[in-house]
Amino acid sequence: MTSTFSMDWLFAAIIFFIGAYCMAVSRNLIKQLIGLEIISKAALIALISAGALSGNTNLAQALIITVILVEAVIVATGLALLVKAYKVNGAIDIKKLNNMRG
Amino acid sequence: MTTELLSYSLIPLLSALAIPFLGRKNRKITEILANVTLLAGLANLAYMIFHPMNRNSGYAVFSFDGLTMSMLFTIYLVAICCVFFASVSGMVKSEKNSFYPLVMISVSAMSSMVLAKDFFTLYIFMEALAVTSFALIASEEGTLGIEGAIKYLLLTFPASALIIIGISLMLLAGGSLRFDIMSQSFSTAHFAALAFITLGFAIKAGLFPFHFWTPDAYQGAPAAVSAYLAGVVTKISGMYALVKICMAVRLFGENAHAISSSLLLAGVITLVFASIAALTQKDMKRMLAFSSISQMGYIAAGAATLNPIGILGAILHIFNHATFKTVLFLNSASIEKSVGTTDMRKMGGLEKNMPFTSWTSIIALFSTAGVPPLSGFWSKLLIIISLWITGFKFAAVVALIFSIVTLAYFMTMQKKVFFGKPKEELKEAKEASPSMLAPAVLMSLIIVFSGIFFPYVFDFLEKTL
Repeated sequence: MTSTFSMDWLFAAIIFFIGAYCMAVSRNLIKQLIGLEIISKAALIALISAGALSGNTNLAQALIITVILVEAVIVATGLALLVKAYKVNGAIDIKKLNNMRG
Repeated sequence: MTTELLSYSLIPLLSALAIPFLGRKNRKITEILANVTLLAGLANLAYMIFHPMNRNSGYAVFSFDGLTMSMLFTIYLVAICCVFFASVSGMVKSEKNSFYPLVMISVSAMSSMVLAKDFFTLYIFMEALAVTSFALIASEEGTLGIEGAIKYLLLTFPASALIIIGISLMLLAGGSLRFDIMSQSFSTAHFAALAFITLGFAIKAGLFPFHFWTPDAYQGAPAAVSAYLAGVVTKISGMYALVKICMAVRLFGENAHAISSSLLLAGVITLVFASIAALTQKDMKRMLAFSSISQMGYIAAGAATLNPIGILGAILHIFNHATFKTVLFLNSASIEKSVGTTDMRKMGGLEKNMPFTSWTSIIALFSTAGVPPLSGFWSKLLIIISLWITGFKFAAVVALIFSIVTLAYFMTMQKKVFFGKPKEELKEAKEASPSMLAPAVLMSLIIVFSGIFFPYVFDFLEKTL
């Protein structure tokens, strides 16, 4: 059982890192949103693993479905903001968002 | 969730559903309905808090604590002030009917967060609150609001992932996510879980290394929204949870204290850094945003001492921060309306034209800086005393010195905006209308009276916490 545990969490950590890397290096807002999604998938894998290991699968399932719902709402809002940013700025480049300084 | 108080989160939600349908014919109805819902909630809460029968029994008939009660009161108070200001000032373009339903949903989400009894419920409503905040920040046409909202989204969503990882570690360790059952056993997995969750909420609260989104979000948001955001939204979504975690960690004993010590360090660095950053700002709203971050530092430091006095001081400071920061942001909105800018270099000598705005600003900034006998003095005093008696003497001295720096940057602001010779182009500036001034004056009266009658406030919180 312990070997599964370490594998799961190693996997979650790697996915989290991939998402963070995607957010750190890309300038495109859509790629940033994809990075966010990848990060949240890492969190979901951690939740699944925890539920399976503690024998609490029912609770974990309920939690995961709720988290997926929340994520969908957040990403929909993010895409709406992206569309509005494209309408205002004419680009989805993150470097254009630097009107406020100090 | 605490079911006895569930109506405080359900009624704003129903109101949010009703507003778009009722307001299709007549726009006035949306404003009236929003104001009436919040005012009724506030009156109801005030009746429950101040009724002598409830007071004398030490609130024994209810299953909640004074923290829940005072936070609910704060939420409704700030929300009614901002909604009233928005409806009378006409600065919110309600053509799309989206402002009032969004505010109602966020009030509902905040009330539910306060009533939550486990981490997962807290998480769900925190996300609901975040979604409404993105929409509110971006509700105005123009590029600044969009920029603030996108930064808020991109920089705080990883925090939610960290909180989920923390929750799953907690599931692994004990199987329960409730605040009260969680504290019965303690293991390494609990420690890691609390560390992740604390990190997540520290990002949401805008503590030092993660504060980048805060000034942009506040500056980019429309005027009434930034008062609402700075007053309660980010405080409830980040700081309330941190205070709650500190109250749980207090019961754990020595092992868990590394978390609270690092939170204390982050708090002290935040208050130092944000005060220094505020000194150099040119824009009024941005300076107020940095001042708000530095007050978050005080609250985190106070709560992280794990001392009853410190936690009490932190809760009081959340309430006081809500009152004085709402006054300052609403005043900046009035100035923006009559002058047309929030750039402090273009202002000067507005005191003759706007005496009420000037005086309420002075009361609020003295309270922020901790000048006795205003309410901000007492909460800061409690925080500094608790830092001193728990052995963080250096932190106590730093907190004391930087409350003088707070006074320094606010006096600079007051001098640039209100004092001195009136500029030629500002001679025509008009005082805001009486109904626009009403929220600021009400909040100033609350600041003065809760300062003068502080022993009663202290007594109330001490009895119920």
